[in-house]
Amino acid sequence: MNHNRWLSLLSPLVLVGLWELAVQLGWLNRVFFPPPSEVFQTLSQLIGSGQIFRDAGISLLRVGLGFLLGGIPAVILGLLMGVNPVVRALVQPLAAAIYPIPKIALLPLIIVTLGLGEVSKVTTIAVSVFFLVVLNVASSVLQVDPRYFEVARSFGARRRDLFWTVALPASLPGIMTSIKLGMGFALTLIVGVEFVGAENGIGWLIWQSYELYAIDRMIAGLVVVALIGWLITVALDELEYLLVPWQAASVRVRERRMREHVRLWWPTIRPWSYTAAIIPVLLGASIAAYDGAIDWWRLFLTIVGSISIQLGTNLVNEYYDDRKGIDKVQVFGIGGAIQRGELAAWQVLAAGLAAFAVGSLIGLYLVSVTGPFIFWLGLFSVATGFFYTAGPLALAYIGLGEIAVFIFMGPVIVIGSYYVQAEKLSLPAVLASLPVGFLVAAILHANNLRDLDIDRQFGKRTLATLLGRGRANIEYYVLVGGTYVSLIVTVLLGVAPWLTLITLVTLPAAIRLMRIVAAETEPHALQPVLRQTAKLHMRFGSLLICGWVFAWLIDALGYL
Amino acid sequence: MPSSNMQPKIRIDNLHVVYPGRRGEQVEAVGGVTLDITDGELVCIVGPSGCGKTTLLRVLADLEQPTSGAIQMLQSNPERPLKGTVFQGAGIFPWMTVEQNVAYGLKLRGVPPVERTATARHWIGEIGLERFAQAYPAQLSGGMQQRVGLARAFAFDPEVLLMDEPFGALDAQTRLLLQQTLLQQWERRTKTVVFVTHSIEEALTLGDRVCVMSARPGRLLHEVSVPFARPRDAIALRTDPRFSTLFAEIWDVLRDEVDRARADEVAG
Ligand SMILES: Nc1ncnc2c1ncn2[C@@H]1O[C@H](COP(=O)(O)OP(=O)(O)OP(=O)(O)O)[C@@H](O)[C@H]1O
Ligand SMILES: [Mg+2]
Repeated sequence: MNHNRWLSLLSPLVLVGLWELAVQLGWLNRVFFPPPSEVFQTLSQLIGSGQIFRDAGISLLRVGLGFLLGGIPAVILGLLMGVNPVVRALVQPLAAAIYPIPKIALLPLIIVTLGLGEVSKVTTIAVSVFFLVVLNVASSVLQVDPRYFEVARSFGARRRDLFWTVALPASLPGIMTSIKLGMGFALTLIVGVEFVGAENGIGWLIWQSYELYAIDRMIAGLVVVALIGWLITVALDELEYLLVPWQAASVRVRERRMREHVRLWWPTIRPWSYTAAIIPVLLGASIAAYDGAIDWWRLFLTIVGSISIQLGTNLVNEYYDDRKGIDKVQVFGIGGAIQRGELAAWQVLAAGLAAFAVGSLIGLYLVSVTGPFIFWLGLFSVATGFFYTAGPLALAYIGLGEIAVFIFMGPVIVIGSYYVQAEKLSLPAVLASLPVGFLVAAILHANNLRDLDIDRQFGKRTLATLLGRGRANIEYYVLVGGTYVSLIVTVLLGVAPWLTLITLVTLPAAIRLMRIVAAETEPHALQPVLRQTAKLHMRFGSLLICGWVFAWLIDALGYL
Repeated sequence: MPSSNMQPKIRIDNLHVVYPGRRGEQVEAVGGVTLDITDGELVCIVGPSGCGKTTLLRVLADLEQPTSGAIQMLQSNPERPLKGTVFQGAGIFPWMTVEQNVAYGLKLRGVPPVERTATARHWIGEIGLERFAQAYPAQLSGGMQQRVGLARAFAFDPEVLLMDEPFGALDAQTRLLLQQTLLQQWERRTKTVVFVTHSIEEALTLGDRVCVMSARPGRLLHEVSVPFARPRDAIALRTDPRFSTLFAEIWDVLRDEVDRARADEVAG
């Protein structure tokens, strides 16, 4: 069941991704199948102009009114039918005969009698909801276990008591179900009703888009319908917890399970690794701000997207490390939840793919507002993230881990983030990103230095095992040293503002780390190096960003 | 405490209950039971599974009409409810909290909220479920639910308490504690109890009288007066030589009936 929930989350995301790809590569005709990014753009225009709120609001009003007008009498009559055989005998045959008629077929009849206005629309919905709900409520009363009535009678319950203390509460879960069914029905209908003779509403929007052949707008309308349906389902679930708390008793169990999930997943998602994903994004954005372009909404999306990709990478990494049996003896094993049997391998893989999908969706939106450059950059990044440990040529296992990380967690993200803001490329931004690339590669290398002996034993090829202890240490000096050298060079070239030299305050910490690496080979002694290098990356990165931001603010003040 | 009134509290007179069977045949569940129960007596009924014990209690609780024969029950105090039932398998309402379930009978009788909550709380304490007063039955184990059913009947405080295997799903220690609670309540408030059980030991521990029923159609086969003085000590009783004699006496009658019931079931 859990399995299915993951898959049901995954499949639409994958579909959207494939769709976008198919259009971008020209396999699908853009005229008939506008890509998701274009639909997003249309949707944001509809949101921007406020039109979508007007149409969705009117549709919701019609659904709400029709639902109340049909639903409330239906619940009351259904209850009466349930407890009173006479009422049941009177209503049941009629309701059962009308129930199977597709209610949209009644629309012409209703229009003839009530005209084309609001009344006929609301009536159509009310009538359909009524017949659906009345029969379902009646049957849920009839299905109440007769034992409960006996218990109540043995305590002296009168007819009235039987209704209020047994029949009504016992059939509430069934009533809730029929209300949900009725609401689903009303939502299906409203669109159809608005196709005919409406001047507004979400159904009208879809129909009008069809007549104008604006397929992107049509799809945007469908997305909104789906969204409304989902929101109402969530709201009705909340109502159910309020009305039927004894069933919600299982909710508490569910909450406990939630907490358990967090406990299991937390180490697996490697929460400390996200600064590495956030810092380059912020750096790119602050360089763009320095160049005069900053859009906070896009920045927010870029951060979320970057975190998703990092999450996907971590999870897929965990999955394939397990598949390849690498973590079996890992002393300081990050995660390892699959080996401990706490998480199923497929769960980790599915979550990883879902995270990639979320990142891709955000990417697609950014593509739709900034152009195809981000698309190719993103595709490249996702592919690298996936093949980092997956596939026959897993980068991490052939000694290319540091280089991949250097490029993607450094220049690529910084450039991407810069491009999202400024919508152009800039050589200075590339150069300014190099220190961050060096440091993030140093983190990975610190990990590989620590695990050098174990990795060698298990045949995991990292740059460290290929180079050997001595030269691997030199690699660490080069990466950490390169950070500071590249920074000073960019400042001397006049690419980065001199304020970024503030990062030099971290130099003593960097030197201390290089000393430890030179002196130690034991995993336990090298463990702090890994943590400290990650910290150095965070401190250095934050200071670098501060340098750029201050330079930008000073510039901005200068203009005043 | 037998009442001065010489009339029995409950009179069951040649009671027959016949159910329509699956294939149109007639299933005689109770086949002519005659039994008088005096006021304040605690009568235990044992018998093979499917012999009509529950059916007999259902007739006493007015949930089933006798096919022939009659029952009579005298009410001595119009302020008190005449009868209350503890159902086999608890029968507590899933949509009420433990407290609401226990207070249910009081609510129907129109006891004001403050008073009925206090009474409910008292009985929830007696059955050891204080921590679960606000929980819903779905959150309780089967044995806990059964205790709630018990507390509901005690809180209702009827003159005649009809109990259908009320301790069936309980562990040995809880069973002992609740037997104690039942006896205390029975001694404190004049109460006539009809107690159906599968356990001969339980019947001998609790009852003034033990009635043994035959296999279906259920009739009274044998009656044993339990001589032990009250208040009784459930543990000390077991070492009493009369206890094992009576146990053997009842078991002899019952074994044949259980065999017959088995054979019946196999035959369909
Ligand atoms: N509603 C009914 N319709 C038809 N037959 C029934 C019905 N209720 C009970 N019976 C039958 O009547 C017989 C007696 O049932 P009853 O429930 O009284 O047995 P019991 O002595 O309480 O058994 P147990 O000890 O297993 O609870 C059984 O054979 C049963 O199949
Ligand atoms: Mg029974």
